[in-house]
Amino acid sequence: MRVVLAEDLYLLRDGLTRLLQAHGIDVVAAVGSGTELLAELLAQRPDVAVIDVRLPPTFTDEGLRVALEARRQLPGLPVLVLSQYVEQLYARELLSDQGGSVGYLLKDRVFSDEAFVEALRAVAGGGTVLDPEVIAKLLRRRAAEEPITTLSPREREVLELMAQGRSNAAIAQRLFVSEKAVSKHSTSIFIKLGLEPSDDVNRRVLAVLAYLNS
Amino acid sequence: MNWTVLAVAWIAAWSAALIWFVLLVVRRARSPQRSSKSRWERISALLIDGVAMPVLLLNASLTGAWVPLVAVGIALTLWTFAPRWIASLVIPATLLGVGFNGFLLLRAYSRGELWVSAYGLTIPGYGSRFTHSVLPQACAFIAGGLWLGWRRLDRQSWLYQRVLYIAGCAGEHGRPRWGLVLLPLVGVLVELLGRTSWLGLSWWTASVTLFVTVATVVLVVRAPAVAADLAIVGVILLGLYGVALAAWWPMHIPLPSPYTTDVRFVAVVVNSRGTALLAGAQGLALVGFGLWLIPRAIDDRTRLLLRSAADLDLTARVARLTRSRADAVDTASAQLRSLERDLHDGAQARLVALGMSLRAAERLIPSRPDAAAVLVAEAREASLKVLDELRSLVRGICPPVLADRGLADAVRALALDTPLRTDVQVDLPGRPALPVETACYFAVAEALANAVKHASARSVTIRIEHRDRLLRITVIDDGVGGADPRMGSGLAGLERRLGTFDGVLAVNSPLGGPTIVAIEVPCALSSQKISTYSGTG
Repeated sequence: MRVVLAEDLYLLRDGLTRLLQAHGIDVVAAVGSGTELLAELLAQRPDVAVIDVRLPPTFTDEGLRVALEARRQLPGLPVLVLSQYVEQLYARELLSDQGGSVGYLLKDRVFSDEAFVEALRAVAGGGTVLDPEVIAKLLRRRAAEEPITTLSPREREVLELMAQGRSNAAIAQRLFVSEKAVSKHSTSIFIKLGLEPSDDVNRRVLAVLAYLNS
Repeated sequence: MNWTVLAVAWIAAWSAALIWFVLLVVRRARSPQRSSKSRWERISALLIDGVAMPVLLLNASLTGAWVPLVAVGIALTLWTFAPRWIASLVIPATLLGVGFNGFLLLRAYSRGELWVSAYGLTIPGYGSRFTHSVLPQACAFIAGGLWLGWRRLDRQSWLYQRVLYIAGCAGEHGRPRWGLVLLPLVGVLVELLGRTSWLGLSWWTASVTLFVTVATVVLVVRAPAVAADLAIVGVILLGLYGVALAAWWPMHIPLPSPYTTDVRFVAVVVNSRGTALLAGAQGLALVGFGLWLIPRAIDDRTRLLLRSAADLDLTARVARLTRSRADAVDTASAQLRSLERDLHDGAQARLVALGMSLRAAERLIPSRPDAAAVLVAEAREASLKVLDELRSLVRGICPPVLADRGLADAVRALALDTPLRTDVQVDLPGRPALPVETACYFAVAEALANAVKHASARSVTIRIEHRDRLLRITVIDDGVGGADPRMGSGLAGLERRLGTFDGVLAVNSPLGGPTIVAIEVPCALSSQKISTYSGTG
């Protein structure tokens, strides 16, 4: 798997590179600014990009803007955005093109490297990975609104894990239930959220988007 | 005159008035609108309706004065139905009038002009011992009128503000000390009144002394600047009287008394040219003293009246800036202190613990690597907590999304995190300065938090616009209302913070809602949204 990495702090960039290499991931470019990043993304076309939100030259949300711009030019380019803080607003923007292959995580998550690499692979494979904190905020907010109130607590748990990019098998393992039970729950979630069964769209992504865009 | 017809008319009028009063009292006691007023206000209203006004009516009808009856009727009608300022004017004026009428009656008795008549609760007359009850009652009526006038005064009214302004009574910092010079003046005045004894009644002096002294003390305590001004005017007038005595001797200025034979002025009995000159000298000294006092008794606000408009504006601006600068310094140092405390007790302490765990793990690695691994895992968990703490700390200083995207997106992000239906409308062509944005952001955050916590609101509308160099933000919720910015310190602190930028924060929250929080800050916008990504690399 080929990865382009953008992080302005040298120590972190170096650490992340080594972490990824230790898991057999090929870091084809590791850059420290937004301008370099865009150039590398367009030139290398990696399997996935790992991008810090705050990058020079503006030291604001440069990384996010580059990620959005790159996805505009290369639709479906998988990006995993890392940040010291998570905002629903940014999550919305990342998900707004509905192309999937998007991740948005707190930087802390790299501490548990297996989970991080798992998330990275999920994004590269077309999945959507949102930080548990974003999900928690979403659920708190949507708790007051219409469709979500009809979900049972268990269904909410399943949806939360689903939004974190986990497969049905992983969710079943996490909740100590059978995989069949999970697929039953997810069907129920899709019905309650009014997502019609269809072959060509990823209902799991749409389930998350249902919250974001309601 | 047919006395039977008069008596029947009087009884009929009196009964009707009594029934009216009872109805009024009952209605007012039951009215829900009244119940929101203070207990004392209700009690005083009951007393006026139930006691004072019937007494007045009785008085007016017994003396056969039908005109006062009509006047009191009008006053009562106004009291019930008219705007507050009419009620606050007419009722006290009526009471004062009746009080003054008592003094006129006394004078008439003493001259034998009037044989007998009703006054208040008694029927005094020439030589009757009830005559002595007139003065206390008259004093009570006047005191009541003054008290009511004071209580009922609409302090927001233009007239009151103007009078205060001109009297120089509205000095914000400290009270002028010159009110105290009124006390010696009262002594002089009472001495003068007593010696000349207008009414020829020996106990008059004591009563008036008491009354005037009480009035003076009240005046000095409640409105020291007015007291000071009055005292100065009094001193000067008294001095002029002394000068006049000397100038026109022996044709002294006659005082309104048929019984006085000698004239006293301050320390001398004026009965010769020499003593008249002495009185004149004392008068000059008093006039000089009064003139010397004038500039010293003028307080800041009156002084402002004497300046030009530009000066006025500048002075007010300097005062406001001084205050807001002090607020800003206070706020900044308080923030730094709490930041220091949070770092010291939170992140620093956790990092120390982290370092200790790592050191212990380091020591365990050769002998018990499994135990070392547990310690390292713990250390990792601890580092997560430190990060979490630092994150919330940073959010409290300046939320990252605010620094990244500016006010509009920060408020949108805030709205997304609020468990309410929110509608954010933004018309902002550029970005205000970051400090302004930060202050506004926290004000909106506080308003939203209040809507969630106290107002049980279901939806919130936030409008942000910039017109005529004025950033205006309104937060409207559909909650229960009844918010008072003075109750919680949260909004007050934000108001001070906005004040640093000449901004204002207003809260309109009637019971039953909606609550509207409006923020206005004069500011310029930077022409371009910063860091719009060009996309060309």
